Amino acid sequence: MGQVIQDKVIDENLEWSRINADVIASMQNPRRAYWVTFAVCVSMFLCAIAAEIYQYKMGLGSAGLNNPHMWDMYIATFVFWIGMSHAGTLLSAILHIIHAQWRKPIYRFAEAMTTFSLMTAGFFPMIHLGRVWNLYWVLPYVSDRGIWPNFRSPLVWDAFAISTYLSSSALFLFIGMIPDMAVLRDHTTGWRKKLYGILCLGWRGDDRQWRNFRRTYMLLACILIPLAISVHSIVSSDFAMSIMPGWHVTTFPPYFVAGALYSGCAAIMTLFVALRYFFRMEEYMTLNIMEKTTKLTFAIAMVWTYLNLIEFSATWYGHNMYDKELLIDKATGPYAAVFWTMIFCGMVVPFTLCFQKLRRHMPTMLVVSILLNLGMYVERWMIVAPTLAMSHQPHQWDVLWGTVIQWAIVFGSFGWFGLLFLVFVKLFPCVSMYEVKELCLHLKHEIHEEEQAKKHAAKAGATSSGGASPAGNPGLEGA
Amino acid sequence: MSLKNILDNFSYYRRDAEMGGHHEYEHRFGMAIDLDICTGCNACSTACYAENNLAVVGQERFAKNQAMHWLRVERYWDEIEGDYPEQGAKIIPMLCQQCGAATCEPVCPVAATYHTPDGLNAQVYNRCIGSRYCSNNCPFRVRYFNFWSYYEDSWPEPLNMQLNPDLSVRDKGVMEKCTFCIQRIRVAKDTSQREERPMKDGDFTTACAQACPTDAIVFGDTMDPNSRVSKAWAKHQIHRGPVTAKKDKADEEVRGYRVFDELNVDPSIMYLERVRDTEV
Amino acid sequence: MSNHRLLAMFKDFDDAFEVIDKIKGKALSSVHVDDVTMMSPIEHPDIDEVFEGRPSNIGYFSLMGAIFGVSFGFFFLSSAQASFLVQPQGGKPVIPLPTNFVLMYEMLIFFFVWTTVFTFIGMSGLLSRRGTLYSEKLTVDEIGLVVEVSDSDLDSVKNFFKENQALEIREEKV
Repeated sequence: MGQVIQDKVIDENLEWSRINADVIASMQNPRRAYWVTFAVCVSMFLCAIAAEIYQYKMGLGSAGLNNPHMWDMYIATFVFWIGMSHAGTLLSAILHIIHAQWRKPIYRFAEAMTTFSLMTAGFFPMIHLGRVWNLYWVLPYVSDRGIWPNFRSPLVWDAFAISTYLSSSALFLFIGMIPDMAVLRDHTTGWRKKLYGILCLGWRGDDRQWRNFRRTYMLLACILIPLAISVHSIVSSDFAMSIMPGWHVTTFPPYFVAGALYSGCAAIMTLFVALRYFFRMEEYMTLNIMEKTTKLTFAIAMVWTYLNLIEFSATWYGHNMYDKELLIDKATGPYAAVFWTMIFCGMVVPFTLCFQKLRRHMPTMLVVSILLNLGMYVERWMIVAPTLAMSHQPHQWDVLWGTVIQWAIVFGSFGWFGLLFLVFVKLFPCVSMYEVKELCLHLKHEIHEEEQAKKHAAKAGATSSGGASPAGNPGLEGA
Repeated sequence: MSLKNILDNFSYYRRDAEMGGHHEYEHRFGMAIDLDICTGCNACSTACYAENNLAVVGQERFAKNQAMHWLRVERYWDEIEGDYPEQGAKIIPMLCQQCGAATCEPVCPVAATYHTPDGLNAQVYNRCIGSRYCSNNCPFRVRYFNFWSYYEDSWPEPLNMQLNPDLSVRDKGVMEKCTFCIQRIRVAKDTSQREERPMKDGDFTTACAQACPTDAIVFGDTMDPNSRVSKAWAKHQIHRGPVTAKKDKADEEVRGYRVFDELNVDPSIMYLERVRDTEV
Repeated sequence: MSNHRLLAMFKDFDDAFEVIDKIKGKALSSVHVDDVTMMSPIEHPDIDEVFEGRPSNIGYFSLMGAIFGVSFGFFFLSSAQASFLVQPQGGKPVIPLPTNFVLMYEMLIFFFVWTTVFTFIGMSGLLSRRGTLYSEKLTVDEIGLVVEVSDSDLDSVKNFFKENQALEIREEKV
């Protein structure tokens, strides 16, 4: 059997009408499990709303913050959600540019995950402010007092970068969905038909539209990659541009980007298993694709591990007393349990992805991906809290763990994300129909070419073996 | 208009502190705190509470490190042998160092903190949205955040009569810190302008310096060569700007230093090391 | 004077490409290959070889958007910083270039993206009506070829398509 046939990620003979039908079916009539999950997400979100109302009225002291712990779980969770958003960019944009065909059935929900992670992350800079109602002062607008935000501050860079990234990702998702909207417009009825008719902007599928579409998609993919890298570098600047020990580290931008790709890939694995189960998408989200995703995750896990270890080595070799003592305290002090959890989940657990049997076992992958994401969340918190706990001034050393209000809001952010995602999968196709059709066409061509090549090789072999028998005596032939 | 402004003054706007900065200082207020004379009595801290409308947060919140003491008297212990182990105590009043190259200033997203022509680091309560980055970036940790609405129960009647009308009472969500009693500086400036004379040393002083029973805190203008504080700085060989020349340590009398001066933030407060009669 | 539009449906790309090759080979005197439009549920990777000489110019507009973004970013930031001198901070200059570069980069990307999107919508003829010839099977698996013909050539073109395995032919008056 040829290599292409063995490795093929999807059955190339899938009927295109069946692709349409399967995906549209996933959007109809939710099962009971869907409503249960929906209810759980709503209740988590309501916990967060209640906690935030209390915190808004009483002040941030109710979140348990103090001097020195002026930032705690909110900023850690903010960085976590921004990081998770890089998955979609990785899958949609980076893999598109290198023509990795296996991304086609799964990039739609990854791209949706990007947009929703950013919408979740966007809450945290708002709620962690002391005076939330004046939030708009970080935006550059012409005010009657002639005052502008402070453009030197990394938090203002955050505002610019995240709004650029959110709008660009949403546009990228929307543009990518236009041909699918056309499919849905043609094959649904009622309010859905009207909705998709508006959203597909009159797409007709002629070659001029496809040509411009391909160009636009490639341009957006090309620009989204440096944008994603710059956004998470800017978020890391919140820490790297300060002078605090443990924060003032030059490797923070690549370290954060690697961590973001890592947690994003783990989240893709989680959603892959979930969607495959809920919507019975085994034909599209095949085990071969899962294998490729897990291999990618493993590669990124090793990059993250390297950057982490290199940061420790640089600290250990350096003579900066503050950084060195902080690192030793992280590993052996009050936060040691959390530190070692991070090391275990981030550096040891990915090795389960080296075993093919485990890679192809969906429940194991679900557990592994959740552990990886837990490790990444804990890593973000380990960046924020220990530095504040043990900074330059010994009189202000203090250990703080999260309080109920913080936990409720962080917990509720997962509910909000789940809510957005659940609504998305029922309104929009979580598998990109036109890309799966393109994948089938591409695979058909590749298999056909492989078979043609084999036939030619077989024919050439037959003729050469026929002509070679009298050449047993090369001397006679040559002369 | 602003395009012309940029083009005309571009090189001027590009100067940073090491190149001389881009505004001329009229005064540069500073302090000299003698740790040998300081007894740790906390009178300075109390005076600061009274002068600046600082809220008394209560025992529980103080223990949770949510206190509002702009000037805190820090106490460290060294283990010493001998008859008097209390001699191992080290007391240092820590307050905002009004750094010349403050790390808290550039990171505020809404520009609520900046450097005044008096050499002070000013905090604008009205502009602060409470992102708390400035406090995270302060190596001395001398910035305090209003975690609660303290005004609601810190000054029940008739205690609210004691509030200083020269400055505001802050609501929750706003960052605050020592201002070198800027309200007193304003009054002294206005008085000297009205009397048409320059400000001189001794016109006014901060609440903490005024209250100190041993006169350990000396406040003044380091740009005025006749002030007590600039004479103290000169004697102990501390200069403004980044740390450059090595000090002549042979003379035992030279015991001045600035906290965390390796961070190059140019603090305005010089501390004088405590003289000990035992080896610590 | 063209006054009919025809849509011929084919069962897959191979059939449609054969027809296009024949049209390129001047099988139809009234139709030139540059006037043929293909409608399909996906884009074929070889479409640029089949239809030569049809460029997409979105990239130029994107570049213009990016350049605008960078210069707008610089001038906007610098003028905001220069008009508010009261706030020197941290020993840093009034117009600090390193931090301005970061924001200029974001502005570059922001304007690049929005220019690209708006150019795409304009250039691909979305949001505009171009006749009502359409078939729902075009979003399933069939390929359509659209040509404009005059009354006199209508029947000959239709017969040509029927001979070349067209599954269905729709027409409308322009």
